[in-house]
Amino acid sequence: MSTETGRENLPRILVVDDEVAIQRFLKTALDNGSYSLHQAADGHVALAAAAAVRPDVILLDLGLPDIDGVEVITRIREWSQVPIIVISVRERENDKVRAFDAGADDYLTKPFGIGELQARIKVALKRSLQQVPEPVFRIAELEVDLPRRRVTVQGKEVPLTPTEYELLRLLVSHAGKVLTHSMILKQIWGIGYLEQPHVLRVNISNLRRKIEADASRPRYILTEPGVGYRLKVDD
Amino acid sequence: MTDTSSAPVAPILLRRQGLHAATISDYLAACVLVAATSLLCEQVRPYLSPINMVMAYLLAVVLAAVRLGLKPAILAAFLGVLAFDFFFVPPRFSLRTSDTEYLITFLALFIVGIVISSLVTRGREGAEALRLRELQTSSLYHLSRDLAAAAGRPALLATVVKNIEESMHAQLAVFLPEDDRLEVSTSSRGLELSSADHEIALWSYRSRRSAGHGTDSYASSSLLFIPLKALAQTLGVLCIKLEWLYEPDTEQIRRLVDAYATQISMALERVRLSRQAQQAEIHQARESLERALLNSISHDLRTPLATITGVLGAVLEEVECLNPVKTRELLETAIEEAGRLNRFVGNLLDMTRLEAGAVQLRLEPCDVQDLIGCALAPLEKQLFGRKVVVRLPPDLPLVTLDPVLMIQVLVNLIENAHKYSAPEKEIEIFSSLSETGLSLRIADRGPGVPEAELGRVFDKFYRIPVPEGVSGTGLGLSICKGIVEAHGGSIGAQNRAGGGLEMILTVPITATSQECVDVY
Repeated sequence: MSTETGRENLPRILVVDDEVAIQRFLKTALDNGSYSLHQAADGHVALAAAAAVRPDVILLDLGLPDIDGVEVITRIREWSQVPIIVISVRERENDKVRAFDAGADDYLTKPFGIGELQARIKVALKRSLQQVPEPVFRIAELEVDLPRRRVTVQGKEVPLTPTEYELLRLLVSHAGKVLTHSMILKQIWGIGYLEQPHVLRVNISNLRRKIEADASRPRYILTEPGVGYRLKVDD
Repeated sequence: MTDTSSAPVAPILLRRQGLHAATISDYLAACVLVAATSLLCEQVRPYLSPINMVMAYLLAVVLAAVRLGLKPAILAAFLGVLAFDFFFVPPRFSLRTSDTEYLITFLALFIVGIVISSLVTRGREGAEALRLRELQTSSLYHLSRDLAAAAGRPALLATVVKNIEESMHAQLAVFLPEDDRLEVSTSSRGLELSSADHEIALWSYRSRRSAGHGTDSYASSSLLFIPLKALAQTLGVLCIKLEWLYEPDTEQIRRLVDAYATQISMALERVRLSRQAQQAEIHQARESLERALLNSISHDLRTPLATITGVLGAVLEEVECLNPVKTRELLETAIEEAGRLNRFVGNLLDMTRLEAGAVQLRLEPCDVQDLIGCALAPLEKQLFGRKVVVRLPPDLPLVTLDPVLMIQVLVNLIENAHKYSAPEKEIEIFSSLSETGLSLRIADRGPGVPEAELGRVFDKFYRIPVPEGVSGTGLGLSICKGIVEAHGGSIGAQNRAGGGLEMILTVPITATSQECVDVY
């Protein structure tokens, strides 16, 4: 673990990866004056650093030499809500679902472009800094007014069923973050519906038909195949 | 083979044996024949002189020779002489003869009777032998014809049993070596083989000599064992149980059985050789595929690596003198190539997983529209505003599929449609539901694929020979095929009326996937 001092005001990023080349590349790419970068090469060091440094974002590789990355997420989530972005070569949906269910905020598959990573970091930081959600969520032509329970597209109110509204509200409150199928099912329908994924599919499909211009090319509610859904936010 | 085509040889053989060993009834018939002739002659006696009746008795002898065989005919000749003398030569009802001239008549009648009998019998025997030979030949012909038509060992053995059972009325078994042991590969129903029979079969197999009934070895057995010999090795043993093997005509039958054995050996050898040739062919095909695979892999991996290495080297070496525009250009090339490399590695991994059967479908109820949306999303940048028309029936139910894999299929197909057709032409995606399942069609207005090549587009490393600058891994469509087939579905390509290519995939949908959703 290495700590850089004198940059207290900058957002702190903890990079957890045992690959020296990746650490070097991320240090070069991110240590550009916008962030204060901290590094850890295994799970134990990462857990200690998460407590000591109190990072604003954690970039976490899943394949760590000592403990599995998902375990690291679980342990951090026991006491902290710091945004965790997984960076991993594991591209199977199973791994993604496990990471998200454990509490990861985002998942980037290696190899990734630095631009993509920076965008994800920005979204995560925004979310971590803004503790109280905005009462009105806006993206492109969609507006969700939470206090008034009002959804409009292009200024026109869209009538939603209570379930559809709840679903949208859940996505809005986690805007930009992937919500796994089981998370959504548990939240909206309760634990008894975990094995009834078609309920979710049908409601998402209906919701899209109401708020998306072209349901075949959704702009707001994005599907993470095999994992879950994510409400798009402005980059 | 038709049932009428193989007249059994066995009855002929049996009948022929009957010729040699006339039964008591044949002799009785000869007696009756002579008696009847005598009665007839008695009727015409007032009108004919006795000497003419000799002709009637000769006729009886000929009849006996034709119908009853040599010995009854001789008996008929002898009785005929006696009856003629007794009934018609004066003094009647006595064997004494008043006229010595009749002695010559008796002698002539007897000798002519015997000569005619033996001539007729020999002629009959010759005809029978000919007929038998013809039947043997035709049964051999039928066997060889059916053997030639039999593909594979099981069919061949079934043919052997059926043919020999029909033509010889025999029970049989064929022993073939299986893993160092000689096993009964096929046998007639009801034929029971003891362990002693197995032992004889093994002896015959090892010594390459016939054994069992009518041979020098194990002659006490009721079965006949004939080794099935190929040039260098013994292929097995034919075992036959003939009910009538005890009769004297064994030599003839042995020859026939030997001929059968030769036919079977040849057929077995043919099957063995063709299987060997087939295996060699498969082996060769696999080798050439592997070579193509390695060549392709090393080419596809090295080319982007070469570019990346070159670019990075150039940037590193001339970091001071390169202008920013040039550097940017170089680096963009490198990153493009890196992306290509990444896609190729991903494809290779997918292909390997599919081929190893390591892909487990994670079936979920899927919204087809969502699948298409997810497939279009990563292509958005490439498509760059290109028109993609999606036509779905309005009441499409959720279908149970592995969404991730199916999206991958769609991405590959849409990407191909995009790459191989002009950007101003639209890409169309249709979906429909039928009894066979869910069909998805991805159609473009590109050049299509030559009809002869259509079947090959799903082969590994096949690249459609078209526009320049179109690069692919040659794996995309084979991955699609693998995924669709893992779903129990099928995928095909066809040229469209009016130009362009259409990819059609059909996946079966299970009953559960169509269930209504009533929770909102």
